[in-house]
Amino acid sequence: MTALNTAPRTSRTAPARPVTPPAKPRNPWRVVITVAITVAVILVFWSVKVDWARTVNLPADIARYLWLMFSNPAWDKVPEALWQTWRSVEMAWVGCLLGIVISFPLSFLAARGIGPAPVRFVLRGLFSLIRAVPEIVIAIVILSVTGLTPLTGALALAVNGIGTLGKWGYEAIEGVHPGPIEAVHAAGGSRWQTVRWGIWPQASPEFVSFWLYRFEINVRASAVLGLIGVGGIGDMLTSYTQYREWPTVGALLIVVIIVTVAIDLTSGAIRRRITEGSRVRDLA
Amino acid sequence: MTRISPETPAGAAAAAPAPWSIRLRDATVRYPNGVVGLNKISLDIEAGEMVSIVGLSGSGKSSLIRTINGLVSLSSGTLEVGDHRMDLARGRELRRLRGQIGMIFQGFNLAGRTTVLNNVLVGRLAHTSVARTLVGAYRPRDRQLAYEALDRVGMLERVYHRAAHLSGGQQQRVAIARALAQEPGIVLADEPVASLDPPTAHAVMGDLRRINRELGITVLVNLHLLDLARGYGNRLIGLRAGEIVYDGPAASATDADFERIYGRPIGDQDLLGGAASSASTASPVSLPGEPV
Repeated sequence: MTALNTAPRTSRTAPARPVTPPAKPRNPWRVVITVAITVAVILVFWSVKVDWARTVNLPADIARYLWLMFSNPAWDKVPEALWQTWRSVEMAWVGCLLGIVISFPLSFLAARGIGPAPVRFVLRGLFSLIRAVPEIVIAIVILSVTGLTPLTGALALAVNGIGTLGKWGYEAIEGVHPGPIEAVHAAGGSRWQTVRWGIWPQASPEFVSFWLYRFEINVRASAVLGLIGVGGIGDMLTSYTQYREWPTVGALLIVVIIVTVAIDLTSGAIRRRITEGSRVRDLA
Repeated sequence: MTRISPETPAGAAAAAPAPWSIRLRDATVRYPNGVVGLNKISLDIEAGEMVSIVGLSGSGKSSLIRTINGLVSLSSGTLEVGDHRMDLARGRELRRLRGQIGMIFQGFNLAGRTTVLNNVLVGRLAHTSVARTLVGAYRPRDRQLAYEALDRVGMLERVYHRAAHLSGGQQQRVAIARALAQEPGIVLADEPVASLDPPTAHAVMGDLRRINRELGITVLVNLHLLDLARGYGNRLIGLRAGEIVYDGPAASATDADFERIYGRPIGDQDLLGGAASSASTASPVSLPGEPV
């Protein structure tokens, strides 16, 4: 800092020399990869049998169904729709809480520097395995045990939540600054004291933000889970679609969209407040 | 492990901190990548001394500081702090000894998103049961020690502020308070002012000198600026390539001595400037407050 800039400054009056940039690096693989991808896309298009003639009618069909659904929505079904939506949100909430409770300790054990290597590998494998399976598949699997109840949906969301929350958690833990951890070591702190006072104060806002984000995901996923019959708004939507009662379907869709967007916006605002809000003030 | 030590705290009610001496014998630090940090160093530091350690980066001054609290372990040789064999300490015993040695870092190493108080209470971790610390249920005496430490560095007003909202100089003072809350026998400081502007650097060095003079704590400070080393230390140790090349009174160290330590002519970049160039007699610089 005390080292003053001793580098010689180029004079502004120096004669202008033509500046030649170094030759642009050429990568022959770029061309090969571009051509390969283009060919692949074209081949895929040809391989799928699409009845192009029918697509001509597609806009008209869409317009017709939109008209059926939204020209005169069955508003009298809204109270029932709200009730079912509430049950979906409950499913999402319970699934989120269960996922948090289970994933929280696991993400610490899966983090480098805390958990022993074998435990870490097993947990990380488990997390990615879970993430590879969609909620609806998990729900179908546990359906045989728990039956067609909202609990099935909640459990499916919880299991899937362990996969995502576990991964986000250990990544957040591994991303903290090493300085405060070193300070706790230097002060004689033990492993769990290091986690509590070196890592947690740094990672906690991110954890809370992940939990909220997972709740948002669950609200959307819980509507989909209803399709297999575990209750909630998805269940109701499937029934009325099967009976082709379009005005009711329209009303249900309006309720689902409004509730989901409202929860997304609220939770998103809180998350921004938690993560960015503090950062912005830190810079000030 | 039992040690013959009169001041071993029998429990929470540890006596007032007694300063610790440091004794290194043929101490060698060789890192896994083959780099030699310290090369057969023998060194005696008496309890209550204030020592400046200077050298270029890579000279081993960080290795020396980090060896003393066991963050870096010796490859061979012995290290005694107080009456304890630091080089033999492991696990619980090592943590207990570290609990008696405060450390101050160049980058402050505070957890920015939590309060100043929580950061200072890190200094009480080794003196408190794990169960209590996990839920943050520190005893009143530990909190009292934290308040007193903050008061000593003039940061008590900020006790509930977030650490990240403080300026660099204020953060370093909180870090000093964290070290003081340990009731340490030794305070180690690794380039404590290298990230600070000159007036703040003098204020922080003044704080370190004050805890040495008023509390009698042994203080070791790594520095690379020779006016700070001369002005604030009583004793100066020069390191080069992991060996001690100078050991004598700080105030009388000449520019030629520094050129021998650095192995090159010294220039403006080796001086901070400001109050310390004649600081052997100057009163401790204290800034009442600084802009956030």
